[in-house]
Amino acid sequence: MPEFSHSDYLAILLSLKISLVATFISLPLGFTVAYLMTFKRFKGKVALDVLVNLPLTLPPVVIGYLLLLMLGQNGWLGKWVLQPLGIKLIFTWKAAVIATAVVGFPLMVRSIRTNMEMIDRRLIQVSRTLGASRFDGIFTIIIPLSLRGIIAGSILMFARGLGEFGATIIVAGNIPGVTQTIPLAIYEYVSSPKGDSLAMALCSVSIAISVIVLVFYEWFGRKMIKRK
Amino acid sequence: MKNVIRGIFFVLFIFLFFTTAVKASDINVSAAASLREVITTLSANYSKIHPDVSFKNNFAASGALAKQIENGAPADIFFSANVEWMNHLKDKGLLDKKNITTLAYNTLVFVGKPNPNIKAMQDIVMFEKIAIGSPKSVPAGQYATEAIKKAGIEKQIAGKLVMAKDVRECLMYADRGEVNGAFVYRTDAEQLAKNVKILFSVPQEYCPRVTYPVALTVVGSKKAEAESFYKYLQSSEAKEIILKYGFMVK
Amino acid sequence: MELRVSAKKQLGKFHFSADFEIKGRKIGIFGPSGSGKSTLVSFIAGFRSPDNGSISLDGETLFDSSIGINIAPEHRRIGMVFQRSQLFPHLSVKNNLLYGYKRCHAIYRKIKPDEVIDVMQIGHLLKRGVSNLSGGEKQRVAIGRAILSNPRLLLMDEPLSAIDESLKLQIISYLKNTCDVFDIPYLFISHTLLEMRIMADQILSIAGGYVKGMVTAEELARGEMRNSGGYTNLLNFTGPHRVSDVYEYRWGNQDIFVANNGGPPATLFELPARNVILFKRHPGMVSTRNFLKGVVTGIFDMGTTVGVELQLGSKKLVAEVTKKAASQMDIKIGLEIFAAVKALAFKPLFRSREP
Repeated sequence: MPEFSHSDYLAILLSLKISLVATFISLPLGFTVAYLMTFKRFKGKVALDVLVNLPLTLPPVVIGYLLLLMLGQNGWLGKWVLQPLGIKLIFTWKAAVIATAVVGFPLMVRSIRTNMEMIDRRLIQVSRTLGASRFDGIFTIIIPLSLRGIIAGSILMFARGLGEFGATIIVAGNIPGVTQTIPLAIYEYVSSPKGDSLAMALCSVSIAISVIVLVFYEWFGRKMIKRK
Repeated sequence: MKNVIRGIFFVLFIFLFFTTAVKASDINVSAAASLREVITTLSANYSKIHPDVSFKNNFAASGALAKQIENGAPADIFFSANVEWMNHLKDKGLLDKKNITTLAYNTLVFVGKPNPNIKAMQDIVMFEKIAIGSPKSVPAGQYATEAIKKAGIEKQIAGKLVMAKDVRECLMYADRGEVNGAFVYRTDAEQLAKNVKILFSVPQEYCPRVTYPVALTVVGSKKAEAESFYKYLQSSEAKEIILKYGFMVK
Repeated sequence: MELRVSAKKQLGKFHFSADFEIKGRKIGIFGPSGSGKSTLVSFIAGFRSPDNGSISLDGETLFDSSIGINIAPEHRRIGMVFQRSQLFPHLSVKNNLLYGYKRCHAIYRKIKPDEVIDVMQIGHLLKRGVSNLSGGEKQRVAIGRAILSNPRLLLMDEPLSAIDESLKLQIISYLKNTCDVFDIPYLFISHTLLEMRIMADQILSIAGGYVKGMVTAEELARGEMRNSGGYTNLLNFTGPHRVSDVYEYRWGNQDIFVANNGGPPATLFELPARNVILFKRHPGMVSTRNFLKGVVTGIFDMGTTVGVELQLGSKKLVAEVTKKAASQMDIKIGLEIFAAVKALAFKPLFRSREP
């Protein structure tokens, strides 16, 4: 096993950090979108569905480029919102989080939705006859009954985030210690004639993490089935 | 219906052979990214004189190209932006040792938005982000890293360096304003920079001469056209073109 | 409890229209499937709104399309029991029960958890998860949960339909007793005549999306006679105050003897009208344990037979005789008559708790 350099360890830590943060910030919005899609009827529902699922079908580099156009110096968000506020996102770890969150978002929403759609609507009606407001019902009935989907969605999104490359490299760049995650580090090593052993070593780390996450996902799934 | 499908597959299968067939008079060139325009012109000129010869030019970071060649990518001639990658292939026995020579020289510069306060290496530590080619495979990045170390600003620069896959991507980051500045070659800056200009040249004490060796590979040495083109590169006509693009020949 | 409903709604091809006012505490809604019962219930509970109209409960406007009032279900204080118990699967039995109680304002909390647990006899189920309960247990918990929310009106939408036949009587006994003990006004929806007669005093009849009218339980029973294969008396006795080889009950100002079949004594009984035998004169010795004296107060056609309504003291009883027998005996209103009923003829339903 070759020696990892300082920036290699940083890459592993950054991968975990960026994936975790991306998953956490996506939870509230992901839950809200899943809730709206499951329980509400409104104009533009189909459009929202398409928009949310788009990152699943788009090549990540396209997503990265679109994010760059939006958030960069000349982008409409960048020019009119971010710059006046003094917020710089491009080529920071925040951009990496955003890229990871966008790419993984549909996975979370789908997972939560699948679970939510199985909730008996009558239960929500019942809760209202017992005096619970809609908000109360969301916290005491819907969230507990969607927990399986929320956790499964989070695990999936986290796993996907660890492997994010295309969008990240475009909008966050390859900055060791700041945005260089495991895939970006491996990319650098793969281009180098002397980098094969370290590329392989990082690959092994990546595989190991993925295996751990997937085993956990399976175990969790089984545990939930047993409870039923 | 079955026969129609079988027929289609057969035709597609045949196509495979045709598309992978390489004409004998193709010259495969692998060249450093900073040589894109000059090699394209040189090969075009050569094709005018020898109309039956066509070129397949592959531009990328020299280290990446060396790895490709090492792994069996077809290359008859290899242009590197530093001596290291050329030696790497030489040690692997992939080059025709008799046919290695120096093509040109260049200077490493720092580009950024016009700013009178940035005159030397020490001045760049105030920037937030600086692009360099990945030192694991891009010679420009290797030169820059060495210069940073020699100038003593390594610690202050840590965490600010954005890795690019070749020197052109470096320039593009700077030109688009995604970074505050970049280490590129003089020729790249002069030819292509739109929004940034050369703020200073990296002094010789920090950076050795940027040298472009060129060589015939073992594969290429068996091709007459490749050898002929290799000789053409050393002609005065070729030297004129090289100078025109801003490189030095001595 | 006073409920006023005036509502119209168009649901595709189905047109719903209701305009009625009820005063009372034990109201039934009777009608076949698809007649609009559940639609009406959803309007009262607040889950759906009529296209136009108004709904008010005890003087408070719950819905009025003309002035834009539509009180949310959680603020109507109307409890519901459904066909399927709809217990919250992620909460224990105890937390299911307390769900509505916790959300009930302290001033309204007249009914306390211990009381309901006692009446429903679900104390031993409290710690369990809801998936381990039988259908009957689930429904008892559901009823308890609804009652504990201290509603001012309880809506019950076919609460027994999904219960096993053998358990229906048991559940309805819990239902009736609980509502009696806690004095909760209710709207009971069903398409089963017996359930309706047990639970309701006044009944709204609904069909094809229209409320056809208001009848008493008796009137409904008489109206449904042809469908239910004859008339069945539903009788409520007090006691028993003596037990030997028979149970001795008090019915108004007379004693009634019911066969002792070894089980716990009931107070609610069914007695098919055809099991009542009429005598114009006292025959002397009689083999039946019950021989009652009364007056004919009504005669009605039952197709091939005739129903004879008798006033026995303060209570009424219906006997069924053939048309020939009725004309031969010259049965007329005002006629003094004797009714004989065997102790074995009464079918026990359950024991009701006196409030």
